Parts: sequence; structure tokens; C-alpha cells
Amino acid sequence: MASIAVDEPGTTVLLMGNEAVARGAIEAGIGVAAAYPGSPTSEVLPTVAGVAKEMNIHAEWSVNEKVSAEVAGAASFSGIRSLCIMKQNGANVAADFIVNANMTGIGEAGMVIFISDDPGGMTSNNEEDSRTITKWFDNPLLEASNAQEAKDMVKWAYEVSEAVNLIVFVRGVTRLSYTKGNVVLGELPKEKEKKAYFPDLWDMYNPTKSKFTSGPFPIFHKPLHEKLERAREIFETSTFNRYVGPEHPEVLIITCGACTSYSIEAVEELKAGDRVGVLKLGTTWPLPEKLVSKHLATTTKVFFVEEMDPFVERSVMELAASLLPATSELTFYGKRSGHLTPYNEQSTNLVINALMDILGMSYQPRDLTYDQEAREAVTLVPNRPINMCAGCPHRATFWAIKRALKLDGRNGLVTGDIGCYSMGFAGPGFFQSRTMHAMGSGAGVASGLGSLKQFGFDQPVLALTGDSTFYHAVMPALVNGVYNNSNFILLILDNSATAMTGFQPHPGTGQLATGDPAAVVDMDAICRAMGAHVEVCDPFDLEDTTETLLRMMKEDSGARVIIMRHMCQLVKVKRKISAKYKMHVDPELCLGDACGCDRLCTRIFGCPGLMWDAKAGKAAIDEALCVGCGLCHDICPAGAIIREEAI
Amino acid sequence: MSNNGKGSKALLEEVINQGLCTGCGACVTACPYMVAYGGRIVVLDKCTIEEGDCYKHCPRTYTDMNAVSERVFGVPYSDEEVGHASDIFMARSTDTGIKERAQDGGTVTTLLALALDAGTIDAVVCTKMDEDKVARGYVARSREELLECAGSSYEASFVLEAYRAIPKESTEKLAVVGLGCEVEALSKIKTYTPKNSPNPEHIRLTVGLICGWALRPDIFHPYLRELCDPSQAVKFDIPHTPHYTFDVYTKKETKSVSLDDIRPYINPACQYCWDMTAEFADISLGSAGSKFPGWNTVIIRTDAGADLMEAAREKGILETQALPEQRLAHLKTVALNRKKTALKNITEKTGSKKDLLYVGGLSKGIADKLLKA
Repeated sequence: MASIAVDEPGTTVLLMGNEAVARGAIEAGIGVAAAYPGSPTSEVLPTVAGVAKEMNIHAEWSVNEKVSAEVAGAASFSGIRSLCIMKQNGANVAADFIVNANMTGIGEAGMVIFISDDPGGMTSNNEEDSRTITKWFDNPLLEASNAQEAKDMVKWAYEVSEAVNLIVFVRGVTRLSYTKGNVVLGELPKEKEKKAYFPDLWDMYNPTKSKFTSGPFPIFHKPLHEKLERAREIFETSTFNRYVGPEHPEVLIITCGACTSYSIEAVEELKAGDRVGVLKLGTTWPLPEKLVSKHLATTTKVFFVEEMDPFVERSVMELAASLLPATSELTFYGKRSGHLTPYNEQSTNLVINALMDILGMSYQPRDLTYDQEAREAVTLVPNRPINMCAGCPHRATFWAIKRALKLDGRNGLVTGDIGCYSMGFAGPGFFQSRTMHAMGSGAGVASGLGSLKQFGFDQPVLALTGDSTFYHAVMPALVNGVYNNSNFILLILDNSATAMTGFQPHPGTGQLATGDPAAVVDMDAICRAMGAHVEVCDPFDLEDTTETLLRMMKEDSGARVIIMRHMCQLVKVKRKISAKYKMHVDPELCLGDACGCDRLCTRIFGCPGLMWDAKAGKAAIDEALCVGCGLCHDICPAGAIIREEAI
Repeated sequence: MSNNGKGSKALLEEVINQGLCTGCGACVTACPYMVAYGGRIVVLDKCTIEEGDCYKHCPRTYTDMNAVSERVFGVPYSDEEVGHASDIFMARSTDTGIKERAQDGGTVTTLLALALDAGTIDAVVCTKMDEDKVARGYVARSREELLECAGSSYEASFVLEAYRAIPKESTEKLAVVGLGCEVEALSKIKTYTPKNSPNPEHIRLTVGLICGWALRPDIFHPYLRELCDPSQAVKFDIPHTPHYTFDVYTKKETKSVSLDDIRPYINPACQYCWDMTAEFADISLGSAGSKFPGWNTVIIRTDAGADLMEAAREKGILETQALPEQRLAHLKTVALNRKKTALKNITEKTGSKKDLLYVGGLSKGIADKLLKA
């Protein structure tokens, strides 16, 4: 489509889930959108930012999820509808603000948080189910099952938010965010002018609409629960809750989100439409209890199909317990019964398997030999383990780290963090990273390790962070390290991009979410101002980087910083910075398996631009992948990888 | 026990992690994974090569003494205390320029300078101390470069790293100067031709240095820095009995410390050393002791060693005299005691008189004699 803001109501367009969310918010007339990049939601904010000017929207990449929620909250306080976007981990970062915003309310204009979970952890280091956290936040929660619903639901969420004066969460999963579907467009807001004004403190007896401070707590907490009850009432009649199936199904599937399609497909595949009904819930917290009770009364078997935690399952079982003895004949199937797992992604096949057991059916879609043949076919596909790109500066950094730690000889270790360099725990980073948790945890854990000297801890500690992660959550940990005189070195892998999530700009890049220029927040100066000894290396100078690491490790006191500065290879491509070198392997110099190196280049160094020519028994350059960074020239012990200046 | 079929993992487990590494440098640069740094061998990555030169050439992996002796001397391993020897005497240089720089008699430098001048060799693989007195392997290609290497560092220098670093295709005629362990490694290199180093046929002369023990650089240098500014040191010396000191000569003064203060920095691997006199060299040299200051003891082992010595005598750049019987007897006693101590320490470590670690291929007679004693 031409633009996400095309004004053609009724037209059907093909949108990715994340784009549909953006369209829904635009149709709702938002004035502010704020996010920190996090897959699987990273495309929402750029989609809004792309039309920010024409739609009069302030779209920003915030420094982290908490700040993004605060930026969005401030808009709502001032009468401007706002959208905040985050992945599941983001809810943990933003939690403190959200919990308190629920106590204060958000003002006249609605605020919606689109949050997308990652079953299977395809782009995450956990499988956190954000629905549970929204439940303990006390926020209304909607779950979209396809792109159309994502758009419509986000738009409707503003009405709910304004009706109950609470932030409303719309939850997706990776399959929603990244799946394209037909979306019938709605109307765009007629009025693009918006006026932001923080309400006057005019009524001393009822300041709640002009004063967003929480406390005294019991007084504020009671209305919060009343608001949730109001949300429940609204949800009872929501058209996002739908039932398909016989009047008295033998099995009632209760499902939500992406699992809706799996459930419907499974029933169709088993031709069990006359025996199984599907109740699809779009509003999963608070549970529309009247609606669910009505359906529970139509069956004796209930099967819950949802991603990750048994969230709806527990809510419904809790409801059923409250309805005893009317519900005493019910049998429940789902995660608790072991028919599905509370981990990894669900699929139509998994639902079919569970249904076969519940219905006592058998189902054989293909010949029995198919499975065996498929397994054999898989062996024909070359193994492709995770890897960093050809020319990735992180590979150079990890190479220098590995060498420096070995040479130093005190069993030094690396605390890892979140970004492309997370791969440092595996082969691409030569297995150097030894911890990996939240954004900024590398520096925080390092600060802790560096404080264990009195217990005999004398291993050098290197903490990793990327440039974007540095601004997000590492700065407090570095301050902590300097303040508490902790002994560690923070390595900032500054590749000029938030590369892992798709090259979003950040405070160090000099660019805004809209592409407009921005002030560069100087990380070198920040670190120096914090009191750290700071050095800057180009990791492609392996010798200098290794030497600097060794020298800094010898200092052995206080929090120090080395900035590993080299632009991400993909950013170079985007900026049309051409290759520095033309690489080739001299077959005379390459000793092949006769070399004592034991295929150092392809076995250990592992740049995808290098390959082993099995026929010739020599290393070779994969010209399709090599980007001419020249690094492999420095690691070949035989000097057989030749780099020539590219013309 | 066989020395086939093992690589860097076994070297790490059986030698380096066992405190047996002598710091000879034979494994370094054989591949990109073995690096000498800060006075120790670092294994950078796992290597999957099953039969590595690093393991094969290490002087502390199983060594078939007979096979090596056959390769070097053409005869089985000698049961003499000082190894295979054709002549033993004393010598000293007449070159005052060399004597000024030399540790004792200047014989080593004089012989090698002659060999370089005569074109018998093109280069000398030896040990050179840097500004901070860290000793590393070095290739001297002229008399001037050779003179810079005179004097003893008393520490392991990974000297064979310098040989390994010479391009494989080089045809330079080489001399190598080393301690017993280093010469032993070199003789294994000669016996089991390396993959990626110059053909050992080009090693025309091996000069062995008689050695009591060597300091381990990674632990000795911090101590040295406490003692003095290493860049100001000009010579280290252990004066002979009745003195019991380690002397550091700086440009201004001499710092003298008790040998007991130095002993903690001796490479623990030296307690397992069997070879005081560098038995697989062409010619071995050492100090001749307190009664003959400024003289070297010389052990001629091969024709190459004898020929060079003869040429030096003819040129009048070396003077020689017979080694007194008593002195020879003392040399043999000390060398024999070294073997006994080594075997005692080795068998204590292995817990078996049948497992002598690297000391292999001994005739039953020699082993029994030493083990019983």
C-alpha cells in the first residue's frame, strides 16, 4: 500500500500485524507514540513515525520502555491519546510507572500499550507471558487474533481506556506481529489539530482529574478495582468475543489470540465441527464471567488453547470453582492436564493431537512413511548455526576478548547482555559470554562480581553492552560500579545502531525516529563524567584491541570503560559505504589440512564469508557473502588470505 | 606409551597443567593456538588435530631416548653421566670484545661468531633479553646481533619459538643455542620432521648450555622489578661457591640476594629435568667453576662440534686446556645426581617406577641402576 495513513475507508489492504496496530492507533487519532525497539514489536513505531508529520504525531524512540511509558502517559495526562509499544521484557522495565499510573489514572485521553510476546523465544531470551504481569498491574487486557482484529482492537482500546481511566494493554505474539493479513481500513480522524494542556488544578475537593499523584493508597486502590469491574462489564458484550459451533458442544475450546486460528483449523481438519465449539475471547482480563459462565453450561468438557501460561485456563477454572455445584460435571483439558505445554509455541498440529485424545479420535493426514522421508530430507539441508554477519565488528571484538583473556591467564570472564553480541554465548562469540539476563545486566552483574574481592575473587571481569543498551540500562550500573569502586571493565560495542532489532536510531546516532537530525549524546563524555577511565579501540585492529584489553585488565581496580567502535556492516551497506578490500585465498600459501591451524578460519573464526573448499582441501572466500572487511587476513597463520585495496 | 596420536589437548593436560612445561617454545608457532605470553604457554583454542607437532616435539612428552640418540649421534643412548661425548676440556675466548660481554669464558659467542664468519651457518637461534630483561628467542644473523645475545638470563626464554617462526621454505643454515630441555626438543624436531618449520636438515650446529635450573619468567619478573629497574640491569650472575648469592649488576651498583630468595622463582618443572649437560647437542658448554674463573667447560659430542672447535683453535681465537680429573669427576657426579633426583621426583609424581614420564627408551641397565640408587 502507498501509506499506512491512506484515507480510503473500506479498502482492503494487506498488512503485517505490527502495521495493523499502527493503523489502528492512527485511526484512533493518537498524538504520541513512544517505544524502545524490541522484536517482535519493532515495526510498529517506525510505521507511525513514517506518517508522523502528515498525521501530526510525535513519534519517538525512547531511551527505554519505562521512559516510553512515561512519555506516552504524559500525553494522556495532557489530553492527547498515546500509544506505547514494547516486547514482553519491556513490561518489566516499565512496570513501576504502570503500577503507579493505575493508581493515579491517566486523564482524559486514552493510553494503549501494545505488547507482543514471543512464544518459542524466536527473538528473545525468555518466554515471559506478559498477560500475567498485566493482571498484577490491574490493567484491562485485550488479545488480537489476526491483523484485522489488531487494528480494530487497538482503536477500540482507546474507548475502553477512556471509559475506565486506565492504560489498556493489547497483547500480541510473534505470529500476530509478523503475519500479514487482509485488513479493511477504517476512517481516519477528521481533525488533525490536537491541543495538549495539562489540566488546571481548579477543584480542590476533586483534584483527581488534574493531579496524577497516587496515595493515600487504600483510597486510590479501591477505585482501581471498581474500574476493573467496569471494564469487565464492557467486555461482556464485546464483539471481540465470539463463539462458533453447536449449541451443546461435546468439547468447548476456549481460546484467544493467535491460537484462535489453530483451534478453528484443528476442528476443521478433524471434521469435528459438530462435536467441538470454539469460544474465542478477545478480552481476556478481566474475564467476561457472565459470557464464559453461559458457555460453560453448554458442555462437560472444556479445552483451553492459548500461548504459554494457562492464563485464561486459570481464570476460567477459578470462575468454575465459584459456580459449584453447577460446574461439578466439567472436565478441564489444557496445560494442567498436560494436553498442551506452558512453553514453546502452540500449533494446529499440537491442538489436533490434544483433541484426538479428548475426543477419542484417530487422525492420519499422511502416509506413515512421510515422517521418515521428511527426517531424511532434513539431513540434506546444510547445517546453518546462528552466526554474526560477514564483516561484523562483534566478531573482531570477541576474537580480541578471547585472546586477551587467555593471555591474561587469570580465568577472566565476560558478562553478556542483550543485542547481536548476545550470540557471544555461542560459537560466533567463541563462547566467551558467561552470563546474559536483562538489558544492562551485563554491567550490573559485573559490578557485583567486581565487588567480591574480599572473598578471594580475583578473576578479571569484562561486561558487554551495545551502544543502544548503554543508554537504555547500563548507565546506572556503570555509576554503581564507579561509586562502589567495583573492579570491572565495561566494553561498549558501539556499532552505530540498534542492530539486533533492525537499525533503529538511538541517542548516540544523531537521528530521530522520524529520520530528522538529533543531538548526539556523547557516550565517551558520559563515561568520563561518571569518573571511569575510558579508552577507545577499533576492534578491527586486533593487536591494539588485545593489547588495550590486557593493559586495562592489569589496572585491576575501579570501573573502567573500553569503547569498541566500529560501524555495523549492515549500516555500512545502508549508507552505501563500499568495501575496503577485495579478498582472496592464495591456494599456494593456504596449506589446507597440512597446516597446523586445523582450519582456524572456518572452524573457529567462522565468518560466513569464508568457506572450506572440500574438493581442493583449502580455504576459500565466498564472494557472495564476503564484504571485504579484511579481518580474516589478520587471523590466517599462513598469511594465505590476501587482502587488496578495493578499487 | 607412545608419542603418536596426541595433540594440544593432551599437551595441556599432561604437560602444561602438570607443571612440567620447561618454556622451551617448541610448541609455539607450530600452530596459531600455542602462544608464549608473560612467561607461560597459553593454549588459545581447542585444536582437533589428533597428532600434533606441539605434543610430538615437547621435551616433556614421552621421548624415546634411543631413537633420538640414533638420529643425532647414530648410536644408542649413552649410559655416560654427561651423555655421548668424544672430548671434555676447558676453553676461553681470546677476543676481548667478546669476553667483556660474556657470562664466563665467551666460548659460545666466539664459536658462533666464527661459524657465522666462515659461512658454516647463516643464522643463530638464541636467546636475547629485551630492555626489561625479558628473555625471548631471537635469530642473530651477524656478529653484532650475536653479541647482543651474550650473557645469561637465567630464565626460560621459549627460544625455539624463534626457530618455529622462520619460514618453512627457508634454507638458511642454522645454529641453535639452548638448555638441555631446549636441545632435547630440538633433537625431537630433528627426529620427527615438523610440518611447518624449516627442514631440520638445515640445523648445522646445536650448542647446549649446561644448566642447573631456570627461573620462571612470569613469577620471577615481578620479584626482579622489586629488586631494581630491570632496564638498568646489565648482567645476572651466580658466583661460585663459597658464595651463595644471585647478583644483579646494574649500571650503578650490584644487588646481591641469597640464592634462597631466588629459589621460589625457579621453574618447578626443573625438578624433573634429567639432562644437565644438554646431551643431544653437538657441543655443550658451561662455566668451569670457581677454581677456573673466566673458563668454560666444553663437551664435544659430534664431528660438527669438534670441527668448529678445531677451527677456532687454529685461528687462535680460543685457548684450551685439559679439564683436571677432579673437576671432571665432579661434573659427572653432579650430572648423575641430577638424573637420580629427576627420577626420584618423577616416580613420586607418577607413583610408579614404570612410568618415567618423558624419560623413555632407556636400556634396562641404565634405568635399573639409576632407580636403585
